[in-house]
Amino acid sequence: MTRSITTNVNGRDLHLEVDPTLTLLEVLRENLFLTGTKEGCGVGECGTCVVLIDGEPVTSCLVLAGDANGHSIETVEGLAEDGELTAVQQAFINTGAFQCGFCTPAMVLTATALLRKGGTPDAEEVKTALGGVLCRCGAYPKIVAAVAEAMGVGV
Amino acid sequence: MTGYVGTRALRVDSADKVTGRAVYAVDVNLPGMLHGAVIRSPYAHARIVSIDISRALTSPGVQAIVTGKDFPFKFGSAIEDQPFLAIDRVRYVGEPVVAVAATTERDAQRARDLIHIDYEELPIVADMRAALAPDAPLVHPDLHTYKRGGGEIVPHTNINTLYRHSRGDLEKGFAAADLIVEGEYSVHALSHAALEVHASIAQYDPNTGGYTLWVSTDRPFFLRKTLTDGLGLDSTQVRLKVTQVGGSFGGKGVPVSEAIAVALARNTGGRPVRVELSREEDLIASQLRVPAIMKLKTGVTRDGFFTARQAEVLWDSGAYTAYTVGVAIRGSQTIIGPYRVPNIEILSRQVYTNKQITGSYRGYGTTQVTFACETQMDEIATELAIDPVAIRLQNGYEEGDAYINGQIMHSVGLRETIERASAEIGWGHVDREPAPHLRRGKGIATMIKPTMTPSSSNCVINMEADGRVSVVSAAPEIGAGQDTVLAQMTADAIGVPLADVAISETDTALTPYNGPVASSRTTYHMGNAIVAAAAEIRGKLFELAAAHFDVDPGGLTMRDAVIYDANDAPVITLVDLLAKYSAEVYSLTAGGRYSSAESPLLKADPGQEWISSIFWMLCTQAAEVEVDIETGVVRVIKVAAAADVGKAINPMTCEQQIEGGVVMGVSNGLFEDFKFDNGRIQNGSLADYKVATILDIPEITPILVESVHDEAPFGAKGIAEPAAAATPPAIANAVFDAIGVRITDLPITPEKVLRAIAAKQTQVTEK
Repeated sequence: MTRSITTNVNGRDLHLEVDPTLTLLEVLRENLFLTGTKEGCGVGECGTCVVLIDGEPVTSCLVLAGDANGHSIETVEGLAEDGELTAVQQAFINTGAFQCGFCTPAMVLTATALLRKGGTPDAEEVKTALGGVLCRCGAYPKIVAAVAEAMGVGV
Repeated sequence: MTGYVGTRALRVDSADKVTGRAVYAVDVNLPGMLHGAVIRSPYAHARIVSIDISRALTSPGVQAIVTGKDFPFKFGSAIEDQPFLAIDRVRYVGEPVVAVAATTERDAQRARDLIHIDYEELPIVADMRAALAPDAPLVHPDLHTYKRGGGEIVPHTNINTLYRHSRGDLEKGFAAADLIVEGEYSVHALSHAALEVHASIAQYDPNTGGYTLWVSTDRPFFLRKTLTDGLGLDSTQVRLKVTQVGGSFGGKGVPVSEAIAVALARNTGGRPVRVELSREEDLIASQLRVPAIMKLKTGVTRDGFFTARQAEVLWDSGAYTAYTVGVAIRGSQTIIGPYRVPNIEILSRQVYTNKQITGSYRGYGTTQVTFACETQMDEIATELAIDPVAIRLQNGYEEGDAYINGQIMHSVGLRETIERASAEIGWGHVDREPAPHLRRGKGIATMIKPTMTPSSSNCVINMEADGRVSVVSAAPEIGAGQDTVLAQMTADAIGVPLADVAISETDTALTPYNGPVASSRTTYHMGNAIVAAAAEIRGKLFELAAAHFDVDPGGLTMRDAVIYDANDAPVITLVDLLAKYSAEVYSLTAGGRYSSAESPLLKADPGQEWISSIFWMLCTQAAEVEVDIETGVVRVIKVAAAADVGKAINPMTCEQQIEGGVVMGVSNGLFEDFKFDNGRIQNGSLADYKVATILDIPEITPILVESVHDEAPFGAKGIAEPAAAATPPAIANAVFDAIGVRITDLPITPEKVLRAIAAKQTQVTEK
């Protein structure tokens, strides 16, 4: 049994037939080969699988693929256009805000969602926004610096 | 020959990592790939009575079901004690017993649930003290018959490692002491908790009887040897292709998913099998930091100089030894700390228990012993009323001091790390009581760590006809930035732009031998191999240029792909020079090798050379904490972390290692805590096993001390491990400074702090 859904992924409208028991994370990784979205726990505890749904960061392991129907999804692959990095991606590079890189897609997307809201969040507000994504390498200090740099550039 | 070395060059793995293009083991997808799942022991110690796979065999999608008896091999780098899948007996909760390969992961999991196993429970060894009891059950009754390396065991006990070291005359040392301080300290099990869980793919080749694996590992050649030794294969029959590694911290060096994937792949007719652990499996059934109980007795003079130290360390390997034998030996040596102690005696024992296996963890034993050494250092300072910074300065190693085996130490920047870390934290000034319920304090801790010695690194450097350079080496990027620092060193050592240098991926069939990307050894060892190969490439280029322009090759230099003469006038660009020669008649390839085995720096007392380290890592951290005396919660305000790196090839990646180490140290020291019930982990989830989030971190000030090492590439030593070890004792000492109580067993939880405060008040009342 499958379910048809209409969704927009990284700017492309897609009509998908999906197994309704699959999560959005599984469909992104296994059906659409968007492996930039990582699984760190599968139960919503580590934040590694964050994608943006209608612009809001959501752990995609807790969303059934069917629930993506009618929504727009943004993954890390959708940020850069033809190799042109976004200000947030460039700021992560400039400040060295990653090590192993496994949490980086989720960190970059969460920071992007925060900065798109506008305003000038201070370090504590940045930390609160990113508090749900774990980084075992401990790149946290440089991630805070990256968001501050990107804020200066604008997203 | 400088240009890129010493600069904050952006990481060469940047673009792939911020765009999601970096490929980890979990991302590899091969044609015909099957998915594995494993049924694990629910018991800490039991006999396997029977296994019924009949219902699972007909479950949809199932391609293979394998038990330990179907694949009766064992592995182990020091002691060959661990089966790929349990045979007859299970020794910890979570041990793999039966593996299933199926078309999809869900099919494999469904079939797994149809397998029935009968067990007969056996008495368990629940912890390391119980393991030493004379009537303790034996986790490995046949230990004495196992194939093993040179380490000493005690047959017919649970002791799998016995090691002693002594120097000087302990009795005389204690007799000369004005004060003797004794204490017991303990540290707990920790998960590496890399965000990328253990995962791998194995494919069997029925023609060769060998396997190809796609793995996320930090030590491909060690892992390959463990597998080939265990399977009775030659070196060409196991080929490891290493992907990006999503965090290792010492945890991705022994077969975990690999053991299951290999056992399944042998039975799928050549179809590749992927095995990816769940987070729960990763936490309860991969590998932990070795817990330790440490007894320390130290004699000092009235004015604070050491006369003797006696150490007794007990380590818990869990059910199998993995890399713990080395941890128990190397780790116990550093319990003396970076201090001159004339008379010492160390007894180190490691025992099997019916718990998850333990192994190497960032620092290889130093995260454990540093806590004991540095806590007692503060106790001594308190007893003698000497400042904790002063007592460390007056006893700390200096250039030319002898280590505990007589090795004369070189590149010793300890003093500067102590001075700069304490200055940065504002030592001596504390705002003691910022609020009625809050108390602040400052603490300091140092640490010392050897690097794996001897060890070797090899590389091949190719220069293409257009001047581009590729370095073929087996140094997987585990996140620590080694691709970047190796590229920086290559660029400067040859004299080409950084953008023209590429570092290869690792494939054990193609890349020459390298020791592990562990022990903070890569920059130094592979850097030296690169410098050697680069010198040959440059030499060939200068010969060509000299012949062409009739100049002395000895006076030539090259920077950013332009060759200059002795007067620093440009002679020719690299591209133009290469254009004069055809690749068909002149190829530029050079091999580079470095082995520390041949270094005169390792000279030591006779028979003790093996304890020497080719370089010494030294670090000091000073922490400021705030303790809430009503809740017991400790908040770390700031950590000043100074590390002697020899020379910072890239200050930014050095800072990453220090900051990451401190974050890990805060997390290890305050939050992470497995709850065991008869060997069973009760909190196998990231919700219940708390690791530090971005909201938990203090202000961190990394400080780079550069005590240039003469045999090192550009003077650089290692950096990755020390920070994680010094943080917990610095915090514990700061807690003592704040509230006058010592927590001698990690982690420092609010419950322990409140209990200690209450106990202190009772004591005061009684007095």
